[in-house]
Amino acid sequence: MWPFDLVDWLMLGVPIAYLVILVGSLTVFSNLYRKRQAANAASLEPWFPPHLQRNIYLTLLHQENPKVPDELLKAALLRRATEDIHRIVQIRNAKQALQALLQRGSVGEDLWQRFQRAEKEIEEELRDVVQEANAFADNWGQTIFQSASEMAQNTHIRERLSEIMSKLAAEKKWWASRKAAIQSDFMKELDEEKTSKSSEDDAVLVESMGKKVARK
Amino acid sequence: MSGTDYNYDEQGQFFPFFILTMTTLVTIPTTISFLRPSKELENTGTRIDSDFVPEHADLIQGQRKKQKRLERRLKRGLLMVGGWAMIAGMIYLIMVTARITPKIWNPYDVLGIDSSADEKAIKKRYKRLSLTMHPDKAREDPEKNVTIQSINDHWVDVTKAFKALTDEEIRNNFLQYGHPDGKQSFSIGIALPKWIVTEGAGKYVLLIYALALGVILPYTVGKWWYGTQRLTKEKVLVASAGKIFRDYDNEQGESGVIGALSSGEEFNEILAGHKADTGLSKLEQKVLGDSESHVLQALSKKDRQKLDDLEDSRRRKVLTLLWAYLGRVELDDDTLNDEKFEVAPIALRLNEAYSAIALAYGNTKAVVSAYHTSQNLIQALRPGASPLEQLPHFTPAVANAAEAERSRTHLTIQEFMHIPEAQRKARVVDSGLLSQAEYSTAISVASQIPVLNIEKAFFKVVGERFVTPSSLVQFVLKCRFVPPSVQTLPEVNPKDLLDIDPEEGDVAAITGRKNDRSGEKPIQPPLTHAPYYARDNAPRWHVFLADSKQGRIAVPPFTFSTFDKPILDESGKPTFNVQTLKMQFGAPPQAGSYTFVMHVVCDSYIGMDTKMEVTLVVEDASKAEEVEEDDEISEPDEDTIAGQMQSLKTGVAAPKRRKQKDEDSSDGSDTEGDVESESETDTDTDSDED
Repeated sequence: MWPFDLVDWLMLGVPIAYLVILVGSLTVFSNLYRKRQAANAASLEPWFPPHLQRNIYLTLLHQENPKVPDELLKAALLRRATEDIHRIVQIRNAKQALQALLQRGSVGEDLWQRFQRAEKEIEEELRDVVQEANAFADNWGQTIFQSASEMAQNTHIRERLSEIMSKLAAEKKWWASRKAAIQSDFMKELDEEKTSKSSEDDAVLVESMGKKVARK
Repeated sequence: MSGTDYNYDEQGQFFPFFILTMTTLVTIPTTISFLRPSKELENTGTRIDSDFVPEHADLIQGQRKKQKRLERRLKRGLLMVGGWAMIAGMIYLIMVTARITPKIWNPYDVLGIDSSADEKAIKKRYKRLSLTMHPDKAREDPEKNVTIQSINDHWVDVTKAFKALTDEEIRNNFLQYGHPDGKQSFSIGIALPKWIVTEGAGKYVLLIYALALGVILPYTVGKWWYGTQRLTKEKVLVASAGKIFRDYDNEQGESGVIGALSSGEEFNEILAGHKADTGLSKLEQKVLGDSESHVLQALSKKDRQKLDDLEDSRRRKVLTLLWAYLGRVELDDDTLNDEKFEVAPIALRLNEAYSAIALAYGNTKAVVSAYHTSQNLIQALRPGASPLEQLPHFTPAVANAAEAERSRTHLTIQEFMHIPEAQRKARVVDSGLLSQAEYSTAISVASQIPVLNIEKAFFKVVGERFVTPSSLVQFVLKCRFVPPSVQTLPEVNPKDLLDIDPEEGDVAAITGRKNDRSGEKPIQPPLTHAPYYARDNAPRWHVFLADSKQGRIAVPPFTFSTFDKPILDESGKPTFNVQTLKMQFGAPPQAGSYTFVMHVVCDSYIGMDTKMEVTLVVEDASKAEEVEEDDEISEPDEDTIAGQMQSLKTGVAAPKRRKQKDEDSSDGSDTEGDVESESETDTDTDSDED
């Protein structure tokens, strides 16, 4: 077998070993890197806290014994839709700002990833709510979010109002004390005037009185 | 030796030169950057004189020193020292190594004549030498070590040289190539000692190569890359920026901002490990325990609730520390007090990130809240505190006394200083309030604080009389630094309020690369008087335009930290120079009049913000052209500034022209051939300060 006798196997092994080591190390690196990326992406914190209203609705829906009346379920669904409205408003407001910040390098890439995930999640959530609503009544799915947003508005206004009203007592107290202070100051001033006048202006007072009397 | 053969530096006479050059290339720039004083504003500013020593001044000083230590460029210093040591070593090597230069036989030298000598001179010289040097003539002299042998040798040499020079060819060779044999081959050497490539050392050299390329290089690049990835543009950790973004809310006021800032990851470094919990209960007791305390009044109910709901004890501690700092609460514990002063500068840095986020949302209220938080952090004052508490010795009680009846809305320092001296003093100098000495310290600080007083604000387009749609508008702000103590302001020279366009053709000035006083050092106001803040801080002024109806930012902030004219003269008296601030932005694409609210907010002093309404009138492009065509309306109107200038110059008031309907677009163009072309595009401003 002439061609094989001429081959120096040891020397041939060197380049092959080089290639094997090179390709092998690159593969290992890319594998590890991808796994780490995936793990990172999976461990990203969710944008929103757990959806309490949805959990309540689903629990009620699946409760068998005793069965939950429809009215209660509808109310729970509306509550869920209201929470969704809050979330979607937040997402919409944040999107533009977040994009600008990401471009400028003021926030990190993973925040954007979390945001996108939240966006997708909320889309699915909306679709699910519409389906559920349609299951209760025909075409309710088209109006449920309208009612939900009105509910959200209402709550918001009430909250603001109660916040303002909560300051009422303190304000009242302050103004009352202020009023009292001003009054007491005035009284003091008046008293001072009286005492000073009684000493100095007595003569003048008498004179003018006298004139008045004369005229009469 | 052929030209392609490289020979190593066997005698070791060249490689010191090589290494010396390389080391110098690194060492000298390092030295320059090490020794050059920092150009940062914080290091170049003057200080406001005050002999006020706050409580725990030692802790605050300690924090400052700690920061200085961090900033000290230790690595660079070590590199510099190593570099210079290397250079010294190499120079020593060069000095001691004997230089072996191949000696070329030079017939001119042998004859002792100049190489420019011609043949006649050579012959003459040879003859003269033969008189003394010829073996027949020269004499032995054992004392000078001259033997018959050396005389003969020398004479042979001289004869050879003479022959060489009288031979045309050799002489030409010598003149042309510097060598009697004609052109020489040249050799290239490597300035490395031979032992590097000899048997034993080869492996190690290879090992060093492998280490440098395979380990050190990837490590350095990786470190740099991940280092830049870790920080955002505002130099805060990416994780912190994310958390702050999540905690951001358009509606939250200053106390909400403080809450958002406490989420920063940066605090983990100072509250690492067990430090996160130690003293937390004591701290909370001190800060939140007293229901009458000023901190609790500043903390809104919602934010208080949030603080109580925090589960992470570290964040809880950070937030409480921040409130302790802002409330100037005494914590009765040196470590806690130290931490209290340490959190503030970090929070201020995080606040930069918060401002960037607020700007991205474009909400005026949020941006103003962020700027106010910066003021609060620097002055160590809770939101809603009286601005008077910025002055030394002013406690809430003193400030309250100073404000006398106005306890709902606070007095600013300026307003306080405008109260007649006797009355002012009577309010605060009392037993239990301030002593005479404390009062004068406070007043001396108050009279040194630079307050920016807006004199005039207008829009213009360089070289145009009107602001046309989509043009590049300049918003020009004329302002003066007025210390609060000044009772009567000197009049402003109307000339100073004009903004004169640079001459046409002066491209550098038009494009803004150069301002009128180029080459001069920009003037910096003194560093902020902030005795509780554990860093030096140079005041900055943010100017932005907001749309008051929508509550949104219309023109994002421009930040000014240096000015073009001196603020104080040599003796420390205010000069009242009119400073010019300019910001550029694109005009709206539609004609019409736009009303903005201009905000000028200082980042470090409370109660010195200015709000002012400004109107930008954008004229239709066609109108601007029209006016340019009929240029005979040239006499400036009496009631414009240009008109007043005209009457000053000529002594006669300009003829009163038909009252213009549109006051905003006064056209004052001088036909007098003035060199200065004043662009009078000022769309007037209805200025009302508050």
